[in-house]
Amino acid sequence: MHEFSVTSWIVEALLDLAKEQGASRVVEVHLRIGSLRALSIDQVKFCYEILAKGTVLQGSRLLTEEVPGKLRCTACNYQGEFNSHDDAFHFGIPPLACPDCGEALSIEGGDECVIAKVRMMLPSAEGGGAPS
Amino acid sequence: MELELDILKENKRLALENERRLTTNGILAIDVMGSVGSGKTSLIKAMIHELKSRSRIAVIEGDVTTTIDADLIASEGVAAVQVNTGKECHLDANLIRKALDRMSLNSLDLIFIENVGNLICPAEFPLGSKKRLVVISVTEGPYMVLKHPMMFLGADAVAINKVDLADAMGVSPTKLMADVAKLYPKSVAVGTSCRNGVGVEKVIEALGLKAR
Repeated sequence: MHEFSVTSWIVEALLDLAKEQGASRVVEVHLRIGSLRALSIDQVKFCYEILAKGTVLQGSRLLTEEVPGKLRCTACNYQGEFNSHDDAFHFGIPPLACPDCGEALSIEGGDECVIAKVRMMLPSAEGGGAPS
Repeated sequence: MELELDILKENKRLALENERRLTTNGILAIDVMGSVGSGKTSLIKAMIHELKSRSRIAVIEGDVTTTIDADLIASEGVAAVQVNTGKECHLDANLIRKALDRMSLNSLDLIFIENVGNLICPAEFPLGSKKRLVVISVTEGPYMVLKHPMMFLGADAVAINKVDLADAMGVSPTKLMADVAKLYPKSVAVGTSCRNGVGVEKVIEALGLKAR
């Protein structure tokens, strides 16, 4: 549900940027979303399409990259992506207990939501859509 | 164009700003999360009842449209600030900032922030509170913790509410507590019942409010 809020923040930021750069059209947007963020990428794409309508973002390609979650145990220094030996109820979200010693794990990465790259048509790069 | 723009940064920045503002005023804020009907308002009321003689308390009530919860809190004689999120399923740091603008912060010690009844979305939006309490109840069934792991990460305390109904529901509070411990060992899980006051004192202790 909150994908709509987050996607509207993404779209707002892109529209601000396009305006600032005087872009006539946004061609491609790269998003990086951590797998520890409870964001459904399908939902983000769906909301993006709706929010892009009637703006310079309409018709742009939205590319998403999912970054695995990085966890570290503060007690025994265990490092890992997922506590894989857990049951299906977790839907890929790891418990924050160390699989080796049971202590609490801290999140070291994979919790971001970042606009990594944008390609847009600038007045000086007419027709090219080259990275600007 | 390389951008590397963190979309959640603005909310994080506002959350930090809220946190600083609260700390400057010597206020401890507690974010209370849980599903609809788990007993968030009842538990907040029960805690206020125990704490109001020693602390100056106010509540920020997040609700989609109504003022029912704010009215219930007001019956305990403390100030309740209503925040209607309208279409949103969660509170965010900006809504809390605006709520703080409406409160007299220099005459408060403790603020409970009751989030919108929802176990998924609020976990994504830090508000600037120092502590987080998650309320679930045995009437929500035996899998509440396992099904919503994100909500429990970072919870200082988890109240397993309505334990007086556990037998009738055939749900084991002990099993739910074990699930919490497995997901997030730092969290303190407590069985509570707002009908007879069981566990309320323990939740207060788990949130570090005992000495206040």
